Amino acid sequence: MPIATQAHQALSAFDKTTSRWGRITMIAGLFFSLSAPAYLVFFSGLDIQVSGILGAFAALAAVFGVIWIVEPLTYYPILGASSMYQAFMIGNISNKLLPSAMIAQSTIGAKPGTRKGELSAVAAICGAATVHLASLFIFVGLLGTWLVSIIPADIVQTVQVYILPTVMGAVLVQAIVSQKAPRSAVIAVAVALVVNFVLLPLIPGLAMFATALAVISTAVLAWFLRDKKATPTVGDDPSNAVNRREDGTPETVSGPTY
Amino acid sequence: MNLPTALPAAADNNSTDILAIANSPILWACAIGVFLVIIVQSVIYMKAARIAAPSIGMTPIELKTSFRAGAISALGPSLAVVMVAVALLTVFGTPAVLVRIGLIGSVSYETAAAAIAANTAGAELGGPTYTQAVFGLALAAMSLGGAMWMIATLILTPLLKKGDSALRKVNPAIMLVVPGAAMVGAFSVLGIAELPKSWIHVVAFLSSAVIMTILMVIAKRVGKPWIKEWALGIAIILGLAITYAATRL
Repeated sequence: MPIATQAHQALSAFDKTTSRWGRITMIAGLFFSLSAPAYLVFFSGLDIQVSGILGAFAALAAVFGVIWIVEPLTYYPILGASSMYQAFMIGNISNKLLPSAMIAQSTIGAKPGTRKGELSAVAAICGAATVHLASLFIFVGLLGTWLVSIIPADIVQTVQVYILPTVMGAVLVQAIVSQKAPRSAVIAVAVALVVNFVLLPLIPGLAMFATALAVISTAVLAWFLRDKKATPTVGDDPSNAVNRREDGTPETVSGPTY
Repeated sequence: MNLPTALPAAADNNSTDILAIANSPILWACAIGVFLVIIVQSVIYMKAARIAAPSIGMTPIELKTSFRAGAISALGPSLAVVMVAVALLTVFGTPAVLVRIGLIGSVSYETAAAAIAANTAGAELGGPTYTQAVFGLALAAMSLGGAMWMIATLILTPLLKKGDSALRKVNPAIMLVVPGAAMVGAFSVLGIAELPKSWIHVVAFLSSAVIMTILMVIAKRVGKPWIKEWALGIAIILGLAITYAATRL
């Protein structure tokens, strides 16, 4: 079967190239993205303690640690190995890369999960990356910097002071809508209210751990109070659970995931 | 561009002039580095795909069509990300916004990470306690958090490729319930923590939440996915505009 062997060789060459260069480029991206804070911490003359960074990182890990692991696991069956290294560096996976890949696959009639589907997704993500880099460079890099330089100081100040409540208001609604888990949402809001309006006024010393405490309590409560009929049991094929997101992708298009 | 105004010599721990440090040339160089890495990666991947395509009966035209379809469908989402990114320029500076919000990360996680990091230093994002040193801490935390996603990808992808069954045996119900709950939990506690600060914080939070809800309802009623794409950017910009009006009262 010379043709099959040839196809096999060509594909294993593709796998080899993308996994080797995917990893090399991702490590290079990691290097550049960590160089910026490393410069500020060690060379800029700012007094930023490493112990403070470790504390901040620990707080962050308590909040997002689960998601760091679960997101790559969730996207793997949808993206395939080669696109993983693209997706987690380009970012905005659920709201941009997945829709791009799916539209490309359906345009040429390739099924996700097949080799043709995988190549189509790789090409689509390259196309999406090209457009994304160009628009970021022009509208944020060049025009944005100019825009900020002409914005009056009092508007700049308003944005700086009130950006967090503004972003969180919209993001919270978006997360609740995209998760479609009303129980978890009610638990999350209830826990947040208790932590902020009962616990913190009583024990102000908790302030540093408030977010982590609320997130862990929410996750634990959501797990024990989950709708046990609606969630799959341990015996189910795990890949079904993982793929469930794929079916729901049109709904999660604007989800605030990476 | 305004590069010369941002000299590294402007570093001052207690200064709230974030942009003096956030737009420093070295941060620009790092951001451009990430851009170049993604370009190199895309070129290598496209070349590899072009070589492999014929052997599985895929024509160069199909590959080109896929590239174009991906590019076109990314237009809307990319411009929506641009809109959010511009709103955050004065908070994180251009290079950090390009890398953290535009590329590797996303607005929700990065803003949350910056807020959590500032809290551990007893400071707040924006405002009088948001000094250059706090910005540095926030950027370090955002970058380390983002790095964890990449490290997880680097470690897990080869394992998953080998079909490591231990990873796939993770209880699927936990996979469905816990990460979603953690995410909603994080955003609700961070959002609600803003409310006691002042009535204008309440206006900011509620206005963007209400606008987002309205946009989500409209998107569902008329079945137009582009509304969902743009919803976050529109809600943030309009929310900020309403908040600005409130500060003038």
